[in-house]
Amino acid sequence: MENFDWLLQGFAQAATPMNLLYAVIGVLLGTAVGVLPGIGPAMTVALLLPITYNVSPSAAFIMFAGIFYGGMYGGSTTSILLNTPGESSSVITAIEGNKMAKAGRAAQALATAAIGSFVAGTIGTILLAAFAPAISRFAVTLGAPSYLAIMLFALVAVTAVLGSSKLRGAISLVLGLAIGIVGIDFLTGQPRATFGIPQLADGIDIVVIAVAIFALGEALWVAAHLRRKPADVIPVGRPWMGRDDWRRSWKPWLRGTAFGFPFGALPAGGAELPTFLSYITEKKLSKHPEEFGKGAIEGVAGPEAANNASAAGTLVPMLSLGLPTNATAAVMLTAFVSYGIQPGPTLFAKEPLLIWTLIASLFIGNFLLLVLNLPLAPLWAKLLRTPRPYLYAGILFFATLGAFAVNVQPLDLALLLIFGLLGLMMRRFGLPVLPLIIGVILGPRIERQLRQSLQLGGGDWSSLFTEPVAIVTYVCMVILLIIPLVLRLFHRDEETLLVVEDDRDQREKAQA
Amino acid sequence: MSTTEKQSDEPSGRSPHEGLREERKPDYAQYLVVAVLAIVGGFLVYSALTLSEGFAKVDPVGPKFFPMVLGVAALLLAVILAIAIPRGSKGEADAGEDIDPEAPGDWRTVGLLVALFVAMILLVNPLGWVIMSTLFFGGAATILGSKHYVRNFLIGLILALASFYAFYSGLGIPLPAGILDGIL
Amino acid sequence: MIVIGYTADQFGKAALDAGIAEARLRDTDLLVINSTVGDSYVDAAFAQPAQVRDVSARLSTCGVPFELSQPVGVYAADALLEAMERPEAELLVIGLKHRNPVGKLLLGSVSQQVLLECPKPVLAVKPEE
Repeated sequence: MENFDWLLQGFAQAATPMNLLYAVIGVLLGTAVGVLPGIGPAMTVALLLPITYNVSPSAAFIMFAGIFYGGMYGGSTTSILLNTPGESSSVITAIEGNKMAKAGRAAQALATAAIGSFVAGTIGTILLAAFAPAISRFAVTLGAPSYLAIMLFALVAVTAVLGSSKLRGAISLVLGLAIGIVGIDFLTGQPRATFGIPQLADGIDIVVIAVAIFALGEALWVAAHLRRKPADVIPVGRPWMGRDDWRRSWKPWLRGTAFGFPFGALPAGGAELPTFLSYITEKKLSKHPEEFGKGAIEGVAGPEAANNASAAGTLVPMLSLGLPTNATAAVMLTAFVSYGIQPGPTLFAKEPLLIWTLIASLFIGNFLLLVLNLPLAPLWAKLLRTPRPYLYAGILFFATLGAFAVNVQPLDLALLLIFGLLGLMMRRFGLPVLPLIIGVILGPRIERQLRQSLQLGGGDWSSLFTEPVAIVTYVCMVILLIIPLVLRLFHRDEETLLVVEDDRDQREKAQA
Repeated sequence: MSTTEKQSDEPSGRSPHEGLREERKPDYAQYLVVAVLAIVGGFLVYSALTLSEGFAKVDPVGPKFFPMVLGVAALLLAVILAIAIPRGSKGEADAGEDIDPEAPGDWRTVGLLVALFVAMILLVNPLGWVIMSTLFFGGAATILGSKHYVRNFLIGLILALASFYAFYSGLGIPLPAGILDGIL
Repeated sequence: MIVIGYTADQFGKAALDAGIAEARLRDTDLLVINSTVGDSYVDAAFAQPAQVRDVSARLSTCGVPFELSQPVGVYAADALLEAMERPEAELLVIGLKHRNPVGKLLLGSVSQQVLLECPKPVLAVKPEE
C-alpha cells in the first residue's frame, strides 16, 4: 500500500537524531505545561510559533505534535495528584484519580492513565493514518462549492455548538473574520482596513494574533485572578499497576478510545464530552459500581484513553481538510500558514513527506511519553512548586520575545498588546476564543473560495448549490442550527441534559 | 470594574455549569463589547464603501462584499447584545484551570502590566532588548506579586542575555542592542 | 503568649515541641502560625487539612490554651513579626534550617530576617539529628 511506504519514509525522517531531539523536547515541554494548571498546549505552541521562521517544518511540527500529546499526559498527573485538572479535558480524571491517590493508590492511577493514554494514542494515530489520507483523497475531488460548504459548516459548528452562548460565539467569529480582512485584496490589489500602515499590507501576522490571544490574553486574565491558596498534593513514587488493575483497565482503555476518537474528529466535538461519556459508561458497565466516587480504576482508565484518542481524532480533520476542531489544532494550522503551506485536502498530495513524518513522530512521541513519564512522574509533581509570578512573567516574556522576533519591529509588539487586550476582554465577557482564531484562519480562505466559485459559475449564486456534497453539507448545517431551538421547545438544553445527569451522579455520590 | 457575583448554594463541588444557576443580575460591563463591535462594524462598512468596484465579470462579488457583510453583521450583533444585556445575558467568564473564581478581578495588576508593556514598546529600540526585557521580566514578576526583587531582575537578566545570544547565534536574528551596542 | 512559626516539616515539628515546652514552663498560651505566600500551586510547608488536624490534636493535649492560624498571601517573616508586635507576645520560636552562604544570598531566609528584625527574644531550634 502506497500509504504504508510513505509511513515508513516518515519514520525514517522522524527518527533522525535532530528530529528525535525535537520530539523529546516537545514531549517534555508538553507534559510540563500539561501539568501546570493555567498553561496549556495551545498557549505553548502559540508561544513557540515564532520558531517556525527559522526551523524546518518537519522539526517544528514534530515538536508541536509532541507538545499536543504531552499536554494530555501532563494534565492527568495534576488531576490525580492535586485534584485540580491540569487541562480541561482532565476534569473527569480528577474525580476518581484523586480519590485513588488519597487512598494511597496514586501509583496505580498514574500508571493506568499513562498506559491508557499510550494505548489510546497509538490506536488513535493508526486510525488517523488510515482515515486521513482517504478523506483527503475524497476531499480533493470536491469542487470549490463543496469545499466552501464544508468550511462554512466548520465555522457554524464551532460557533454554534461549542459554548453556551451562540450570540457570543457569533461575536467572536465576526471579530475573527474582521481581523482576517486586513490586508491587500487578492483579486483587485486594493488595501483593505490597513489604516495606511504599509506593514499591514500582508495582513496582520497570524503568529502575532495567535500569541496575543492564546498567550498574552490568557496571562493577563490569570494575572487578574491569581489564585492564592496552594492545593493539597499527594506524594507518589513510581507509577505501577498490579495484575488486577491491568485486568480492570484494558477494556476501559479500548472503550475510551472508541469514544474519544470520533468526537475528536468531529468539529466542535472536543475532549470534554467523550471523557464524560466514557466515565458514565464505565460506571454503568463496571462490576464494582460502588467504588465509583471512591477511587475506581476504570474511572481513570476510560476517560484518560478517551481524551488522548480525541487528541488523535482532532488531527484527522486538521490534516485532511485543514479544519481545526480545537484550539491547539487551530494554532498548529497557523504554523502551516506561517510556513506558506496551504492547509486543506491538497496537503497529503503536496507535502506527503512532511505529513507522514508528522504522523510517524506521533507514534514515536507517544512511545516517548510512556517511557519518559512513568519514571518521571514524581518530578513533574515538583514542577508545581514554581511560584506563579515567575510562571506568568515567563509567559509574558516569551510572548514578547516571540512577537518581537518575527520582524524586529515595535509595531508587532503594539499589535500584540492590542490583541492581547482583546483576548483579555473576550475571556472576561465569556466570548469563546476558538471561533475567533478559526475566523482569522478560515475567513480569507472562505472569501477566496466564494469568489472563485462564483467566478467559475459565471456569477450565478445558484452554482454554489450544484454539487451534491455541498447540498448535503448545507442541510447538515441547517439541522445543526435548528436542533437547539427544537430542544428548547421541550424545555431542555443539550447542556442542561448533561448537567442534570452530572448533578444526579454527584448527589448519588454524596449520599453514598 | 468588578466581576459578577457568584452565589453558590452548594457547600462544595464547583460544577463548570454553575454559571447557569447564577442570579440574573445584568452585567453592564458588557457594553464594552457592544462598543467594540459597533466600532469594528462601522469601520468595516466605511472601508467597504470607499473601496472601488472590482471587475464585475470576473469577480461578481468584488472586494466590497465581504467587509460589507461583516460590517453589517457586526453592527447587528452589537444591537442584539445591547438588547440582551439588560435582560440579564452574561457571558460565562473563562473559568480556566488556575482561576480562583471567587476573587474579584484584580485590574490594577493588569493595568500595571499593560503600562509595562507600553514602556517596552516605546523603549525597546532605543534601550535595546537586553535592558528592556530584563526590566520587563523583573517588573512583571514584581507586579504579579513576587517580592524577591533582586531575584526577579536577576532571572530577567539571565533570560534576556540568553535569549539575545540564542537568537543571534542560533537563529540568526539580531535583536536590538540599543545603547549597549558595542558592548554586547 | 508564645508565637510559634510552624512549617509542615521536621523544623516546624521541632519548633512546636520547643514552643509547647516553653509555654508549659511559663504557663502562658500559644499562637501557632503556619503561613503561605500562596504563590505556587504546591507549598510543601503549608499544613494541609490532615496535618492541621494532627497539630490541633497535639496542641489540645499539651495543657495550654492555643490558637492555630494559617494566613494566606503573606510572607512568613512578615506574618511572624506582625504577630510579635502584639503586647502579650513574649517569645518567638522558629525551626532553623542550615543554608550555605550562596543559598542565603540567592534565596533569602525567613529565619535570618526574623532573627535580625524581631525586637523580642527569639528561640531558634534545630530538629534532633
